[in-house]
Parts: sequence; structure tokens; C-alpha cells
Amino acid sequence: MRRMLVLLMFELKKILNRKKALLFLIALNVVPLVASLALIVAYVKFKSFGFGEVQFNVLYEVVQGLFTAHIKLFSYIAPFFLALVIGDSFSTEFSRGYMKMLLITPVQRWQVITAKTVSIMLFLLLAVTIGGFFLQADLIVARGMTQNSGLLNTSMLPEQLNVEKPSFIVSTSAAVQLLFMTFAGNLMLIGFFILFSLFFESAIIMSFSSLSILMGLHSFYMIATNFLGKLDVWYNDAAQWVFSRHLSDLFSISRIEKILDGRLNIFDAEVMASLGSSFAWAALFYLLAVLIFSRKQILH
Amino acid sequence: MQETAIKVNQLNKSFGRKKVLNDLSFNVPMNSISGFLGPNGAGKTTTLRILMGLVPLLQGEIVMLGESLPGGRSKAVEQIGAVVENPTFIETMTAVENLYWFGSLYKPVTNERILEAIALVGLKDAANQRFGTFSSGMKQRLGVAFGILHKPRLLILDEPTSGMDPAGRVQMREILQRIHSEEKTTIFLSSHLLDEVQRLCDYVVIIDRGRTAREGYVGEILSGHQETWEIRMPDEFFSKAIEVLKTFEGLQWSEGPRGLMLTMKSEMSPGINQALVAAEIKVSALIPHEASLEETFIRLTSEEKGN
Repeated sequence: MRRMLVLLMFELKKILNRKKALLFLIALNVVPLVASLALIVAYVKFKSFGFGEVQFNVLYEVVQGLFTAHIKLFSYIAPFFLALVIGDSFSTEFSRGYMKMLLITPVQRWQVITAKTVSIMLFLLLAVTIGGFFLQADLIVARGMTQNSGLLNTSMLPEQLNVEKPSFIVSTSAAVQLLFMTFAGNLMLIGFFILFSLFFESAIIMSFSSLSILMGLHSFYMIATNFLGKLDVWYNDAAQWVFSRHLSDLFSISRIEKILDGRLNIFDAEVMASLGSSFAWAALFYLLAVLIFSRKQILH
Repeated sequence: MQETAIKVNQLNKSFGRKKVLNDLSFNVPMNSISGFLGPNGAGKTTTLRILMGLVPLLQGEIVMLGESLPGGRSKAVEQIGAVVENPTFIETMTAVENLYWFGSLYKPVTNERILEAIALVGLKDAANQRFGTFSSGMKQRLGVAFGILHKPRLLILDEPTSGMDPAGRVQMREILQRIHSEEKTTIFLSSHLLDEVQRLCDYVVIIDRGRTAREGYVGEILSGHQETWEIRMPDEFFSKAIEVLKTFEGLQWSEGPRGLMLTMKSEMSPGINQALVAAEIKVSALIPHEASLEETFIRLTSEEKGN
């Protein structure tokens, strides 16, 4: 257990020591970062000029859009960055010889792969948390704007404005749920990339080939469900086994919007089913990776 | 306390269709410095990789320090230090940091022990230098420091002097001798530098094409060996000398650049000298060429090829 912890700390240190990692954390959270700046500018402006109906509607749309855009963009670009980080942790370590230095110590192979997996999960969690932190800051700013709307007091607002608008824009619970979904959905991808990285010794080649296969699989899923399935049911059945479908289910815009509005939460059966499948796939990939890694020969 | 540090029995390994190890069996005695020799492609590195756990053991039996692999690997490896060929630590970390992180995977290490190990391999001045700036000799020595960090009972080294200059090799030899005498560590090293092995090791395992060609204490291996002697004399006495030599049994000769080269048991030399002088041959020198592992090695490995 102590060894496992040392190994985990060591892996985290290695990941965070790379300049790449810092760049990824920023790139993955570009939407919340930029939005924070924009909202602060808007806040200063509204505070001096007052706050009217138009601005309220715009703000409402902007903040909702911000969440949707962040979650959606994160789910699109995270695979690229994850593939590179995982490629560095596995493929590059094979070619540089770090792996052989780890494996001649008494740590067991499943421990190595588990520590690496967990450290990458923690890295992903860090990326999600940073985004969440900035989004939360954005929310606070936006709430401040709706509640202290400059010169106008709520009771002084015209009748038509004072109806049915929620006092909050996005609830904290909805925000946390969305971020958890982002994290959980990407676990499956971590498993997929780790499985791949065991067969390559270059992070770049590993990333390109695994992403190509991922995109190929997903294209098949889209074509099969939209067109081919109408010709032959077989395609529909086959498409059910394309694991990436759970990602597009999880991150569909309508679902994100429902969660933002509070009409759906992640404990509802619909979301739980996607989350469950994605955990199951992640576990399957992890077990396969352990099995393959335990028989792998380290030759240089 | 067990007598054998490493016991390898019927080890087999193939890469694709190529059989690299073919029923390889040998023993490494405790408290020895043992050499592992073989021509290129004989399977030395593969064997060491299996011992270190880099290549999974599929066919055969290995017992290290009384623990049989693969089940007892973790337990055995806690008491074993391994130095791979070209050790690769993290380039951006210093020597001390690297030893701390990698060493902690064996057992908790103290800063004193890290500095002690670094001093033992003569890297005291480079302790806080980044690994990326090390020369290949320094990297190799840091590898040895890592190997002995947790005070192992057995140290396995793969080509510890590869890529080192002659001075570095001498240093490495001294380091290994010091580790052996100060920390009572059994050492098992592979090398293709035979004179080095002869000077350092008291036990050798010679393998060829995946089989054990010979194993034993260096003294024993060399004792049954025919020695080479060189007789120097003016050229005009050559034919006469050959006539005299023909009267001896168990003797082979050939013409060398400055005299005759004889292969014989060393106790024959006084008789030959007497006979030559009696035949009025002016022998200017009778020089023994010390028996070397190199000759044994070449004889053993080329015999195999003849079969």
C-alpha cells in the first residue's frame, strides 16, 4: 500500500512536471477562463449604467450557453489532450526506458498500471475542477448582476419583467452534476487510450492511431444508426456495441440544457444508464490493459 | 542461509520462431562475484531481463534468494538490486531526487543513505546535478548507486561498463569490489570484456546460443587449461628446435613472429628447456603466456559451433 502511494505521487509529479500538462489545463478550460474575464467587464459596465430587461435575457442566455459550450467543448477536445498525456505516461516511458526502471523494483505490474491510471484520473479531475472553479466564479458574478441590478430595485421593475424568472441562473447543484458527468464520461476514454498506449512507443503515433480508431468507430455508429439501420437491423445491433455512443448520449446538448434548467439530474435513470455503461466500459478497458501489461516484454 | 543466490533451471525463451534460450540451467553461489559471459546473441541480456522481471517467465524455473519466480518475485526483489544496461532516470530531476523516488519503491529511504550510496560510487560532486546533464559513465554509476541503495543481498548488473572509458572501467571495478567487501553483496554481472571478468570475478557462467557452455570457479576452469609458452631464439635454430620438440608427447607448436609458440602443460617446461640447450640451441627466452579466460571462452564457444 505504501509502495502504491509512493508510485502514485511519483506519477503525479511526473505528469505535473511537464510543461505540456500546464498548457492542457489552460486549453481545456479556455471557455470558463475567457468568460470570467468577459463577465467581469460586463459587471463593471452594468453596475454603472443600470440593468434592464434586455441585459437580463442576454445574461441568462450567455451563462446557460457558457455551461453548454464548456461541457460540450471539453467533451470534444479532452480526448485529444488525454491521448497525449496517456501517451506520455505509457508509450514514451517504454521508449525512454523509464518503464524498465519502474519494473525492476518490487512494485507489481498491476500496481504500476493502476497508479498511472489513477494519476491520470486525478489530472482529469484537476482539469474539471479548475473549469468548475471559474464557472462558479462566473455564476457568482452573474447572480450579483441579476440581484443588484444597478440603480433599479427588484420591486421597482415593471410588471412584465418580474415574472417566472428564476432568482438564480444556474444552480450550484446542476453545475456540479455537469462537471461530474464530464469527469465520468472521460474515464472510459482514459481506459481506451491506456489499452492502446501499451502497443506503441511513441506518444504522437499512439494518439493519432487511437483517435483515428475512436473517430472511425463513432462514424460507424452515426452512419449505422442514421442510415444503415433502416436497411438492416443488424447495423443497429452492432452500433449498440460502439462504446463512444455513451459519450454522445452523455453530452448531448438537449441533456445538458435539461440539467441546467433543473428538469433532469444525474440520478435519473436515463443519465444513470449512460454513466453506468461508461463505467463498465472503463472497467473493461482497465482489466484488459492489466492483463496485456502483465505479459508484456520490456525489451529496451 | 541458502548456498545459491540464483538457481536457473531449464529456462526456455523464444522470440517468434527464434529460440533464444534453450534449456538454460546454472547456479550462482552466495557471496561470490559471478560473471555471466557469452558471445553476442547468446541470450545473456534476455536471461538477465527475465531475472529482473522485465520479460515474463513462461517456461522454466528460477529461484532467487530462496524465492521461486514468478510468485515470490516481489519478496525476492526487495533484497535484490538490479542495474540495467544504460540506466534511464528522469532527466529533469537531480541524482538525489531520482534516487529518492525510485528508491522509495523498495522501502523508505533516508537522505543519509542516498548520499552514502552516491558517495560510494564517486558521484558526491554531482549529487544535486540534473540527471540529463550526466555523462554516460556517470549515468552508469548512478545506476549502481540505485542498485545498492536498499542494501540488497544480491546485485545483478547488465553490462555495467558498457560505453565507459578505460579509467571508468577501472573505477567501476573498484566500486564493485568495494560493494562486495563492505556490504557483503553477492554480485552477478554480465559482460563481454573477458579480462575484466577475470580480474573481478571468482565464478563464471559461460553460455552460448541459449545453453550453458561451462560454469564454475575461475580457478577450476583455468586449471585444466593448456598453457601457451613462447620460446625466443634466432631464426636459424628453428628447424633444429622443431626436431627436438618432436620427441616430446602432448605438445603442440606453431611458428610465432619472434619464435615458437608451444601449447603444453606448465610442468613440461624445464624438460624442454634442458633438451633445447643440450641440442646447442641458443634459447634467448622461455616466456609463459598466462592462461586466460579469453582462450577458454573462445575454445568453448567455438567448440559449440563445430557441433
